[in-house]
Amino acid sequence: MNKTEVISQLTPIFQIVFNNPEIQISENLTANDVKGWNSLTHMILMSNIEESFKIKFSLREINKMQNVGDLISLIESKK
Amino acid sequence: MNQKRTQFTEQILNKIDSNILKFGSRNAFCIAEKFYTYKDLDEKINAFSAKINDLQIAQGIIGLVVNDDIETYASILAIWKANKAYVPLHPKQPTERNLEILSQTGSNFYIDSENSNFGEKLININSAISKPTGLVINNIDSPDDLCYILFTSGSTGQPKGVQINCENLVTFVNSFELAGIKLNENDKCLQAFDLTFDVSVQAFLIPLLSGACVYTIPHDKIKYTYAYILMDDHQLTFGVFAPSLVKLLRPNFEEINIPSMRYCILTAEASPVDLVKEWHNCIPNSKIFNFYGPTEATIYCTSYEVPLDGSEIKHTNGLLCIGRPFEGLNYLIVNEENNSVDKNVKGNLLISGPQLTIGYWNNKEKTSEVFIEINGTNYYKTGDVVFEDNDHQIHYLGRADQQVKIQGYRIELGEIEYHARQLIDGKYAIACAVKGKNDDNEIVLCLESDPIDNDAINKHLSVILPSYMIPSKYYFHDIFPLNQNGKVDRNAVKKLFNL
Repeated sequence: MNKTEVISQLTPIFQIVFNNPEIQISENLTANDVKGWNSLTHMILMSNIEESFKIKFSLREINKMQNVGDLISLIESKK
Repeated sequence: MNQKRTQFTEQILNKIDSNILKFGSRNAFCIAEKFYTYKDLDEKINAFSAKINDLQIAQGIIGLVVNDDIETYASILAIWKANKAYVPLHPKQPTERNLEILSQTGSNFYIDSENSNFGEKLININSAISKPTGLVINNIDSPDDLCYILFTSGSTGQPKGVQINCENLVTFVNSFELAGIKLNENDKCLQAFDLTFDVSVQAFLIPLLSGACVYTIPHDKIKYTYAYILMDDHQLTFGVFAPSLVKLLRPNFEEINIPSMRYCILTAEASPVDLVKEWHNCIPNSKIFNFYGPTEATIYCTSYEVPLDGSEIKHTNGLLCIGRPFEGLNYLIVNEENNSVDKNVKGNLLISGPQLTIGYWNNKEKTSEVFIEINGTNYYKTGDVVFEDNDHQIHYLGRADQQVKIQGYRIELGEIEYHARQLIDGKYAIACAVKGKNDDNEIVLCLESDPIDNDAINKHLSVILPSYMIPSKYYFHDIFPLNQNGKVDRNAVKKLFNL
């Protein structure tokens, strides 16, 4: 799975979790840039991604992510 | 000096000072991966004490922008050492709200380690070199024994400030130890609460009184994963959690194993008993306590130690029992006529004793609404509905304002919510009463879930609930909003559906 494929599968998940059809994903995107991105929505986001990509993140992996770029790399490494 | 202030200095501040001498080179704080020793803390406290002295501040209340840094914690202690009270202002809250709170207290002075500028009428003690000339300093009258004022959102309009004084806090500290948690200088303690929320005072103060180390969570981190990393990396021994924080960890419970944890407190909201049982597997050597208390009665006023030896865990509607009241606290469980009810009969919980606030800051009207005198004793109406069982344990049922009358029956929305949660894998369910046709109350239920067939829910609920408790309508939403303290925001949920 390449970066473009990961992004196109991630985009609708972000749009649903943050209830915002306008969200576009970029590698530099962080929680501070998105309205409503807090502990709770973060957990939901992670669960939805795990389900969609059929992968599992550890808490340590989740904690290390600094931005969406880190998330994409992590997904790539697991696929 | 005020006698209560003297007691506070002797029992709290001097104790911390003696820990600074005794444990100078040991760690007092771990903040954003950096350790600060008791000596480091002492230096910071002294620096702020000097700044407060230099400005010759007569006012007894000082605003405090609560950043996640050693300066903020040192400021609290410096403010107390100057015989003053702090009012926390959250940096992530709108500035307007913080200014409103400052203006309500009338104080011209605040401390912000990040050096915000709140305008020329307000002085940041951290950056002010001298008192600006020509400034009109408000002449405010405040009790001389205040420790902190916490502003909580009033459901209508202005925030109201709960005043906690020296006697309240000293009593709390002494009662807390009797509840069964005894820390020492080897303890490593999680501080996961915003300093605008009163549990934070317990989370940093009790460790400092024991020479232990406090581990905080930076504001820009995802709280639940960071809390886990702290517990795992540093093998923490004591943690205070809102159940909703534990719930966020639930999908990863299998990877969590913190054998070092000695004590775990659940507080700030009702604790689901099934969550607690699963959480115990993650902290196998820890005692687990459920603590209850309104801000108005200083942090906690009842506690229940969850038995982990396989014996019966007391709960009602799936919510952990809140146990026995703290030493020195008096309570009544009363009906609508304010007469005491019998055991096993539900009623409103009233509390009195030295942990009770003297009232809301500058708000006689709100204060008189929540206090009531019965047989010469002043009680605070908690607004919580409880009952006491045959073993003298108090069980929590819900908020009084969640109690509604439907077709003449007095019902507890929490009971409907409990049974509905079973259907949606323990996620949140919020029931509320709305005016239906003919102006009668009807129950509607908001579920944190994808839409489910209404008949299926009705079928599930009607097996256990009487027909008048079956909701007439269901609403679904995938994520329920939480408030700043990590509790489900009931009002925000209702707003989602225009209820």
